[in-house]
Amino acid sequence: MTEHSTKARKPAIAHLFWWFMFAQGGVLAAMLLPVHILIQGILGPLGVVPVVDHHYDTWVNVLGNPLVKLYLLVLIAFPFFHFAHRLRYLLVDLGLPAARGVPAQIVFYGGAVAVTMVTIYILLTTVPISFG
Amino acid sequence: MVPPPHGGRLGGEAGTREFGWSMPRGWWTRRPHYFWYIVREFTSLPLALWLLWLLVEIRRAQDGPTGYHPHSSLGFVIFSVIVLLFALYHSVTFLSLAGAILHFNVADRPIPSQLIVLSQFGAWAAASAVVGFVLIYFGRT
Repeated sequence: MTEHSTKARKPAIAHLFWWFMFAQGGVLAAMLLPVHILIQGILGPLGVVPVVDHHYDTWVNVLGNPLVKLYLLVLIAFPFFHFAHRLRYLLVDLGLPAARGVPAQIVFYGGAVAVTMVTIYILLTTVPISFG
Repeated sequence: MVPPPHGGRLGGEAGTREFGWSMPRGWWTRRPHYFWYIVREFTSLPLALWLLWLLVEIRRAQDGPTGYHPHSSLGFVIFSVIVLLFALYHSVTFLSLAGAILHFNVADRPIPSQLIVLSQFGAWAAASAVVGFVLIYFGRT
């Protein structure tokens, strides 16, 4: 077996992981973000509809739910892996070839990982998990 | 036929496999198609900013009942309106790609791409309805 064919058989696990995060982040942002922005960013603040984060009591009640915490983690963290890839290649398209390099990958994908870690920290420290 | 945006200039020497790639400055302003492609990629930035705001909104629940003041200024609403336009553009362009990416066979017959795209938009509508209901229902005082 040649070296070339040996390399060809290796599964590209890292590639698979980043593409999975890119695709799922894109789907989640497409399916879920518009309604959050519409209600939490426009209709709620304008007083057209009641919204869960407009009052402390209602906001804390939902933030204690573990399913809500998990949902918010997925909603916030996954799209950042999508954004990291798109913004990196936006810079490439706009004439910054250095954005292809490893340092840029560390900055962008590392940024997505950092946002994920911060999100986990905030969700775990903001309101105690409550099953009630 | 759409001409290449880079003008077809390739560097490097003949006979080698390495070649340079140069895009003229402002190439994306030359055609509406290129412009909207860049807008599609750019949608990530305002969406990321809005999600960071949501993270701050979650964090503000630590301020307690007397210190919690949700964002409701006109400036924030205008910001959200602008982000919503980018979000809708991301949703429409991303979900429309499903017809080209996803391929399914039922009884050895391929499902039409229009049907796959329609299912994506249907799922978007259903998800929006559910999330919208939850955000409003649990917001009642």
